[in-house]
Amino acid sequence: MTLRECYAQLEGDYEGTLGRLCSEKLVEKFALKFLADDSYELLEESLEAGNYSEAFRAAHTLKGVSLNLGFTKLNRVSDELTEALRDCSGLEDMQLLENVKKEYQRTIELLQELQNG
Amino acid sequence: MRSKVLIVDDMELNREMLTAILENDYPILEADGGRKAITVIQKQQEDIAVVLLDLIMPEVDGFAVLEVMKNQGWMKHIPVLVITAEDKVDVESKCFEMGVSDFIRKPFDNAIVRNRVKNIVDLYSYRNQLEEKVEKQTETLKKQYKLLVMQAEKLKESNTKIIDILGTVVECRNLESGEHIKRVKNFTRILAEQIMSDYPEYGLTQDKIEVIVSASALHDVGKIAIPDSILLKPARLTKDEYEYMKSHTTRGCEVLNNVQGVWDETYSKISYEICRHHHERYDGKGYPDGLAGEEIPISAQMVGLADAYDALVSERVYKSAYSEDEAFHMIVSGECGVFSPKLLECFRKTKKKFEAENRALKKLQSEKEKAE
Repeated sequence: MTLRECYAQLEGDYEGTLGRLCSEKLVEKFALKFLADDSYELLEESLEAGNYSEAFRAAHTLKGVSLNLGFTKLNRVSDELTEALRDCSGLEDMQLLENVKKEYQRTIELLQELQNG
Repeated sequence: MRSKVLIVDDMELNREMLTAILENDYPILEADGGRKAITVIQKQQEDIAVVLLDLIMPEVDGFAVLEVMKNQGWMKHIPVLVITAEDKVDVESKCFEMGVSDFIRKPFDNAIVRNRVKNIVDLYSYRNQLEEKVEKQTETLKKQYKLLVMQAEKLKESNTKIIDILGTVVECRNLESGEHIKRVKNFTRILAEQIMSDYPEYGLTQDKIEVIVSASALHDVGKIAIPDSILLKPARLTKDEYEYMKSHTTRGCEVLNNVQGVWDETYSKISYEICRHHHERYDGKGYPDGLAGEEIPISAQMVGLADAYDALVSERVYKSAYSEDEAFHMIVSGECGVFSPKLLECFRKTKKKFEAENRALKKLQSEKEKAE
């Protein structure tokens, strides 16, 4: 799978990201580095522990990095979750977390495929 | 020279992305949180050219870092560029309120980040250099000012020295006058300080008083031009001799005219006034010019009274000393010529000070005589 194909399946913004990061090599390098990022794990853990301010920060981080890497879909769902957590008082709509979880797992799987060639 | 870029973000991937953009142009410092950022800035504040700051971080967040930087005065020299995924407008305006130089929203464009960082670094480097230049120039100006003050002080010293030299000449010429000069100086100071506090219309200041007191030593400088036969005559003077003696006022002015140009104008002017007019009297019956009232410079009025008082309480070849009380009444009643009512008022108020001064000086004198 090529980088472009990976972005296509992710429904990501390949052209835009390439334009901003200037080189395909950089896009690929940082996209793959996302595999090692533990923001999602932090998000799940802190929600379970009821630490909503930590959960807000984790969601915010996920939102930011997905935005910068052009993971448009992941960005959209994590943005929704971030806003729901902004006042740090809890999470009423668990579906929002479900959406992020689903999209995050899909993203990771596709990136792993890319990594394995 | 500031050249380092400090990247503050709790997410490693974010730091790496920014590092990749900037590492070819700048040495990069990284901080994974607000607390670390503050420590790094504190240690390397002279080396950091710009701070790239994330806002949402655990514990010490971006706003807290801005707060510290502002309070420490670091923002004057180190610009801050906020990079965030925050899309709320009030967050941006809050950042600018806190002194942030630029605000970049995610997703960022590498070229734009590179350019904005370069612009802000160049601008601050120029500004810091200018500031340094101004500081150096201010320092130089301060030094020059200090030098000027020192020179003025020196000039003042040399002015005083000229007066002292002239005064010593008078002392040497007329053996009787040595202590007299000292006493006139001290009496003059007592009167001058009282006048300064009671009658501001004369415009006396502490500085001016110092000049007057110093110059009062010259009131009899003209006596060096009076022949010994008259000056040192061990008896009362004849009418003609007395008339000649009176010319010590104008002869003194001639002496002073000869040293003009050497000393400060204030000193020469006041010395001249005192020398010429210390025998003028308020009713116009004094000499040499017959000036009346406030035509007589205040310096000469004061020295005139001090001189008259001292003549009364001192022993002379042709008379014994009057008591302090007698001397006081003779001055107040106008027996030694009329003085200004204001001056007499000050004299009355300082009667005790005059007497203390008189005793102190006489005591000193007799001790000196005993020692000899």
